[in-house]
Amino acid sequence: MPKIIIDGTEIEARDGVPVLQAALESGLDIPHYCYHPGLSIVASCRLCLMEMKLPHPQTKEMGWAPKLFPSCQTPVREGMEVRFGTEKVEANQKTCMEYFLLNHPLDCPVCDQAGECHLQDYSYKFGSAESRMYEQKQVNPKKDIGPKTLLYSDRCVMCTRCVRFANEVAGTGELCVTNRGGRAEIDVFPGVPLDNGMQGNVVDICPVGALLDKDFMFKQRVWFLKGGDSICPGCSTGCAIRVDSNENVVHRLKPRFNPGVNDWWMCDAGRFDFKYVHDVKRIAKPRLRRGQESDTPDWSEIPDIVRYRFEQHIARRGGASVAVVLSPMMANEEAWLLATYIRSLAPEATLLLGHVPIEGEDERYPVGCNDDDAKFTINNEKCPNRRGVEMLIEQLGGSTCAFEVFAKKCADGEFTAAWVVGGYPKGWPTKDLTKSVKKCELLVAQDIFENELTGEAEIVLPACAWVERDGSFTNAGGKIQPFERAIDPIQGARRDGQYLFEIAGNEGLYSGERVREMMADKMAAYANVAEAPLKPAHQH
Amino acid sequence: MADYEPVLLKHEGVENIRSLEVYRANGGYQSLAKALKTTPDEVIDEVKRANLRGRGGAGFPAGVKWTFLPKDRKRTLLCVNADESEPPTFSNRYLMEADPHMVLEGTILASFATQAQTAYVYMRIEFHEPFHIMQRAIDEAYAAGLLGKNILKSGYDLDVYIHRGAGAYVCGEETGLIESIEGKRGWPRIKPPFPAVEGLFGQPTVVNNVETVANIPHILERGADWFKSIGTDSSSGPKLFCVCGPVNKPGCYEGPMTISCEELVMSDAYGGGMRRGVPLKAVFPGGISMGVLKSDELQMKMDFDDPRNFGLLGLGTAAAVVVNAESDMRDVLRNVSRFYSHESCGQCTQCREGTSWLYKIASRIAMGAGRIEDIDLLEEVSGNMGMMPGFSICGLPDGATFPIRGIVQKFRAELEEGIRNQPSGRADALLNVLN
Ligand SMILES: Cc1cc2nc3c(=O)[nH]c(=O)nc-3n(C[C@H](O)[C@H](O)[C@H](O)COP(=O)(O)O)c2cc1C
Ligand code: SF4
Ligand code: SF4
Ligand code: SF4
Ligand code: FES
Repeated sequence: MPKIIIDGTEIEARDGVPVLQAALESGLDIPHYCYHPGLSIVASCRLCLMEMKLPHPQTKEMGWAPKLFPSCQTPVREGMEVRFGTEKVEANQKTCMEYFLLNHPLDCPVCDQAGECHLQDYSYKFGSAESRMYEQKQVNPKKDIGPKTLLYSDRCVMCTRCVRFANEVAGTGELCVTNRGGRAEIDVFPGVPLDNGMQGNVVDICPVGALLDKDFMFKQRVWFLKGGDSICPGCSTGCAIRVDSNENVVHRLKPRFNPGVNDWWMCDAGRFDFKYVHDVKRIAKPRLRRGQESDTPDWSEIPDIVRYRFEQHIARRGGASVAVVLSPMMANEEAWLLATYIRSLAPEATLLLGHVPIEGEDERYPVGCNDDDAKFTINNEKCPNRRGVEMLIEQLGGSTCAFEVFAKKCADGEFTAAWVVGGYPKGWPTKDLTKSVKKCELLVAQDIFENELTGEAEIVLPACAWVERDGSFTNAGGKIQPFERAIDPIQGARRDGQYLFEIAGNEGLYSGERVREMMADKMAAYANVAEAPLKPAHQH
Repeated sequence: MADYEPVLLKHEGVENIRSLEVYRANGGYQSLAKALKTTPDEVIDEVKRANLRGRGGAGFPAGVKWTFLPKDRKRTLLCVNADESEPPTFSNRYLMEADPHMVLEGTILASFATQAQTAYVYMRIEFHEPFHIMQRAIDEAYAAGLLGKNILKSGYDLDVYIHRGAGAYVCGEETGLIESIEGKRGWPRIKPPFPAVEGLFGQPTVVNNVETVANIPHILERGADWFKSIGTDSSSGPKLFCVCGPVNKPGCYEGPMTISCEELVMSDAYGGGMRRGVPLKAVFPGGISMGVLKSDELQMKMDFDDPRNFGLLGLGTAAAVVVNAESDMRDVLRNVSRFYSHESCGQCTQCREGTSWLYKIASRIAMGAGRIEDIDLLEEVSGNMGMMPGFSICGLPDGATFPIRGIVQKFRAELEEGIRNQPSGRADALLNVLN
């Protein structure tokens, strides 16, 4: 941990980081464009320049060197002294900000980036209000560069972050710089669009409104958005994300810095495949079958109904006839509430992990890299919490079985009562599964969409989308990561955690944290599940 | 300088000197034979002692540059810089066309000194003739055992390739050149790492100019002391000069670095004076990038040190562009600034935006739509770029600052007068068109 002096104040920096990174982490706002901690250093925007003390070439006495140095390219060294708050440094920032705007169209009113744009912010903070360029602006074109992205190259500041991302992280290299000097532009080659499994990230790292997300384009002004810290449920990688919503509608997902898991990135599938959250066909209300009749009871009746039916069944068939299928789409807390509740009624009940959707192989980036060099992995398990549910079942002990065995035992009449949790965005139960499970005398289906199982179930409970819930997921690497609720459940529905909490006999409001405290009594791993420390802080 | 004995151009007039046979008959490749019997360190020492300073523009001592290579390196690569894109400079081309084997012998010697086993001659695409001439020389040398494996049975191996660039000024900058050979955009690299440690293909690399290496055979043949007897202590050895513009004898000449700019332009041994007797107004003595001299500053010596006394960046390529009294400095300014705006590679903000803005302002002034305050603006913008103050990655914008600021500072009165005498209303009308 080298100590360095920035503007007279000593700070402690992490080993090996550039001065810029150390300054940002210490809370200073140093304007910069080309530097991104996840990409190679090019030191080309020349906005982050600083003054530095060096030994005089002749006298060897330490003094402020006459030239400026890029703070992004200068690694921290014990005892080094630098400064940003000087006339020279500030004059350069002002010059740069004037230059960035010389040919910029100043179309903030129609720009999606407005409000989270570092050209706006830096101009406001470090620039000047007027342009002294008197001549016509260079107008670079707007280009459709791929299925998900537009490039308004007239807004580009040529930081080349996007190009480096495509080369270094995605490994697909679709982006390049064409032309020279003031005529330089970002572009793709004809017939080779920007199209890879991580392309959405280029929009995130573009410090200005040049790269735009077609999916989000013109949907919202960003200052109306409310962010919820969440974890992507798309696969068991468990990327930390932010859910941006307004009035209970999710508009976009963005990655959050999460060292060692997703770093600064997320994949396109995770980013764009959230639309099912607002599908009108979702199950919104609990449903109960009484003989031939179907009824929608009030939520307040549910705990008694469920308890009564299970107690009756257990009295008739014994506790071993009960099986609970815990979905890898569930949060740890929800799974724990359900599992412990059923075990409280029937200690012999079987707990098992439900269907784990697998698609192809793990995808590693940069494309074509060796497994060890992967900067990002999309897991082929398309659910967030297989590992968590497995761990839970193991910790709770008692009877368990594989999912296939469960189906068979239902068919054979060994299990006569089942609580099956789904919650998958894509249709899941097979005909065979349904055929076996429907033999149960008591079937509870907890799911997000109607399917053959919910059609057969005696009790149907709506499962909410993860953005409406809170709790924690355990990713493939065993990391327990909490996520918070970003929007309210759809009308009629209740958060899974809440009704399971009530069914289990608790009073008051469910919260992931509260349940984790209850869990931690037995399972220490769930104590102190706090958000990963978000250092290094990085504004953009 | 009637008594100057040409060195680099000594074979001028020798028929067929481009052929290996004739070059050898005139003493060629004897330095190589001699050097191969000694050690690389001996060659380095002799070149160091001769104080051979780089002829590519910066004037860095070649022998010292070679010692920056790490001692424990496994491979070394040499690049001979034949990109020659500085305006009015054509001495590298002249030399390669006049005496290709001299350049090649120098290349082999520089490679031997640095223990490079591969050398690349980086040549701009526009050099068609020099390319064929140099390639023929290389082919002949291979056939004669002067290149390839076990050169002259010394055990030393070397391959030489000509790499033809696509024609960009910035590819003459040594790390732009390296990127270009690697097949990438000619974007200069940030340093460190310096090329001597991590250059072409990540290997220790030396970049030397064509004229620099062409001096080496002569140093080894006649010794460092002879070399130092030409010119001055800090500017030793023969030098090629170019003169162009409205003079009587534009061309490439050889001389010692003791001559003045005035001699270069006016003397019969060189430029031969102003054509039609039109008075001289200005000279850009080092290629345009070093800055400009007024007519009363021509006493400047064409050496590595004196240009600084006249507000110039350095000797540069020692190619003088002469401007006569018939030219309007507003047009000169526009022409100069167009070059940098066209050639900036576009990485660094200050250089990319600064050079294009300067060109826009200069064009407007040249079109008769200038404003007096533009002159200060030109000075300010050209002062806000360059590698020396830390504003950019490479030296290209320093080369823009010096001539543009030089014109503004030294010819301010003329520019102001031009603006004041613009046809009235023209500025507004033109601005309307421009905007
Ligand atoms: C923009 C720019 C263009 C350059 N162009 C050339 C060139 O065309 N030829 C050349 O020899 N050196 C050129 N140089 C200088 C080279 O970077 C390098 O210093 C030189 O090739 C080293 O050779 P020397 O030490 O033998 O002079 C250029 C430098 C800059 C900054
Ligand atoms: S498009 Fe955005 S990320 Fe790419 S170079 Fe331009 S400003 Fe940078
Ligand atoms: S890799 Fe997995 S967790 Fe990460 S964004 Fe993609 S789908 Fe979501
Ligand atoms: S200074 Fe200019 S030419 Fe040199 S690297 Fe930067 S932008 Fe390119
Ligand atoms: S952030 Fe340092 S030069 Fe761009």
